[in-house]
Amino acid sequence: MTDHRPVGVLIVEDEPEFLRRFSEAVLGDAQLRLLGAASTGKAGLALLDAQPPDVLLVDLGLPDLSGIELIRHAARHHPDCDTLVVTMFADDAHVIGSIEAGATGYLLKDASAARIAAAIHEVHEGGSPISPSIARRVLARFRGGVAAPDAPAPPSEPSPLSERETELLRLIAKGFSFEAVAEVLCISPHTVVTHVKNIYKKLAVHSRGEAVHEARQMGLL
Amino acid sequence: MKRGRWACSERYAALMSGLATGLVAMLLGLTSAMAMAQGPAHAQVIVTDSAQAPAADDPRWREQPLAHDLPGQGAWYRVRFDAPLSAPGDGPTMLYLPYFYGGGRILLNGVLAAEVPHTTTSLRVRWERPMLLPLPAAALRPQGNELLIQAHAEHQGTGTVLPRLAVGAQGDLQPLFERRLFFVRTLPVLTWVAGSVVGLLVLFIWLQRREEVLYGLFGLAALLWAQRTSTFVLESLPAGAWDLWRSVYHLCTGGFVVVMALFVLNLAGRSRRGLTRGLIAYAALGPLLFVVLGEGAAASVWTAGLALVGLGSVAVAVWAAWRQRTAETLAIAAAVVLSVLAGVHDQWVATRSPLLMRWAPDWSDHRLFLLHHAANVLLLVMGVLLALRFVRSLNAVELANRTLEARVRQREQEIEAGYRRIAVLQREQAATDERQRIMRDLHDGLGSQLFTSLSRAERGAMDSSAMADTLRGAIDQMRVAIEALASEEQDFDAAFGNFRFRWDARLREAGLAPRWDIALPDGNGASPLAPHDALQLLHIIQEALTNVLKHARASAVVVRVGVQDAMLVVDIEDNGEGPQAATPPGDAPGAPPSGGRGLANMRNRAQRLGGQLQWHVLAPGTRVSLRAPWPVPSTTAPAHS
Repeated sequence: MTDHRPVGVLIVEDEPEFLRRFSEAVLGDAQLRLLGAASTGKAGLALLDAQPPDVLLVDLGLPDLSGIELIRHAARHHPDCDTLVVTMFADDAHVIGSIEAGATGYLLKDASAARIAAAIHEVHEGGSPISPSIARRVLARFRGGVAAPDAPAPPSEPSPLSERETELLRLIAKGFSFEAVAEVLCISPHTVVTHVKNIYKKLAVHSRGEAVHEARQMGLL
Repeated sequence: MKRGRWACSERYAALMSGLATGLVAMLLGLTSAMAMAQGPAHAQVIVTDSAQAPAADDPRWREQPLAHDLPGQGAWYRVRFDAPLSAPGDGPTMLYLPYFYGGGRILLNGVLAAEVPHTTTSLRVRWERPMLLPLPAAALRPQGNELLIQAHAEHQGTGTVLPRLAVGAQGDLQPLFERRLFFVRTLPVLTWVAGSVVGLLVLFIWLQRREEVLYGLFGLAALLWAQRTSTFVLESLPAGAWDLWRSVYHLCTGGFVVVMALFVLNLAGRSRRGLTRGLIAYAALGPLLFVVLGEGAAASVWTAGLALVGLGSVAVAVWAAWRQRTAETLAIAAAVVLSVLAGVHDQWVATRSPLLMRWAPDWSDHRLFLLHHAANVLLLVMGVLLALRFVRSLNAVELANRTLEARVRQREQEIEAGYRRIAVLQREQAATDERQRIMRDLHDGLGSQLFTSLSRAERGAMDSSAMADTLRGAIDQMRVAIEALASEEQDFDAAFGNFRFRWDARLREAGLAPRWDIALPDGNGASPLAPHDALQLLHIIQEALTNVLKHARASAVVVRVGVQDAMLVVDIEDNGEGPQAATPPGDAPGAPPSGGRGLANMRNRAQRLGGQLQWHVLAPGTRVSLRAPWPVPSTTAPAHS
């Protein structure tokens, strides 16, 4: 990467200890620039619109509004902004909801300062962290159907995932690292990352399409 | 009229209307049979048994009105007429005799027109049927015709009887003749045949089902009555057979009366064993009396008793109808009363009762006997009642079957619901057991670690890095617990996937090259390990990996999980500085004080899996080995605590 402009980061976290921890991690990395740190959703929203960041770190359990709304707002109004959702265990049911809302990855709350900074860089450079439980949830969400182009009788609603993506998700669900997955599938780790990113996009699009469809059904549109 | 129980039932309404229709039809038929062509109302008679026709100027000729009867003697009758007497109709001129019991000869103007068998020493005759005789045209004169009729005394009847006869065209007389023939002869033949068949059939049914006494009685009554009716069908018999047949006739009559009495008693619910036996004994007495005393005396003595039995039956039937007001008792009472009335009527007709002669002389002359028709109605009523009972009991059986089926279905559903409840309870119990195991695990593991650390921190025995280590350890324990328990499918593969993903990243970050060699047989769709067993296993591996990270200074680590010879085989092998990981951590400088307990915890968890843990010193490196029976006993048979 030749772009040396520091990555602008906005943190929205209501727990002061973690707000401080994340802020220090960002401040401790010369390539990151802390654009703002808010402890409420509304303040976060105001900061987000006032100065759109490159990466948004957001906790879901905010006192005034749901972190999901913040993620959705960012995805709709600031498509260049990557969002990392802050979670304790990465198997939180909310992680998948966040990805559907437009988040690109997650960050564990107990991650070290170096790990926090690295995750921000990764996501900004197009990486997408994924955990086995997220992979399993994505597979379950698209309910197994593989959209092979030559499949003779596709199911009524074919899975939007390609065969390769499904295979990749299965390996990740078993706990294989990106490197191990790359080895098994004979692709580069970088391609694995691209696949994951595509899967996330499909998930977000799919979920939005579903929302529109449901809204039509309910007569809201 | 009070509305009785019977009035409500459609079926009984149908029964009653059917009965009424039958009676009306019978009366209409009889009334039409009564109609008679105009004929000579008088005849001249000479009482004599001589076969020689008396001379025309015999001084003994006496004028007599017809019908005429004589007790026990034969006679010659002379009837004069002009042909044709009646209005001109179709066909030849005929002589119509409604009855001619004793038989005899009929001459027209001295020419023999017809001869009917009569009782002789070798033959017994009782001629029941009406006669329609063509008069020989050659002998017929337009005026002043003379019929000479020799009438024999009827055998054991009331005497010689000449009815009001009619001479006319066939077209006029034929219908009268046929109507009477139907009632006097065709119906009795039908009764004989139908009664015998139905009686035998019903008796056959009764033989299969002895407890249905009414069926047996009805079958017997029908059979007896059919045989009795043969008296109207068999008009002439050889002298030898006659007496036997008459005895059978009386016995059948008596038997019928007794059986009817039993039927009525049974229907009224007044059947008593002593009474039944007495009646049967009386019925059986009849044949004995006939053998000992001969017909005449036996008939008069025994029949008198039967009359009492019959009157008793009437009384019981009427009483039962009055008390019970059921369609059954009312119908039977009506039919029995009808039969008695018919019997009285017949007695009057047979004995030419002066009462009847005065009230209805024409009817009396017809000599139509009603009892066997009334008895037919009675039998019909009995048959219909039994048929209704049969249908009712069939319906009851069907209803009972349906009820039973419904009950069985209900019980089945209850049992199924019970099983479902038990299954739910078992699942709940299993879940509760699982929860309790996990609670114990949290309590013994994480809980005690946190409390110990708190105590040490409070007395200042922990520096910040030791505290961070402890807390990280606690978080790791929680992670393992969440991985083992919180995965939606409670699936070991899912739990191990999360665990592996987390540790793979951590080991790589620490500069170790991890290798995972995982080969657990799948449990046919079920998880090969129950969540709490998976928790123990993951705890052991996590503890071993933590020790490798902390103490081994290794560059590679291999985690092997598999099954060999019905043993769960788990190895965590590093290539570090061997002994540190295997020795009690207290010996190693900088080792966390909780490390000793870490090893003890690993051993405890191995024991909970029913297995053993061993440390092998390699060169270089260490191998921690878990061996436990497979399948893990607590997984296959959860111990209830």
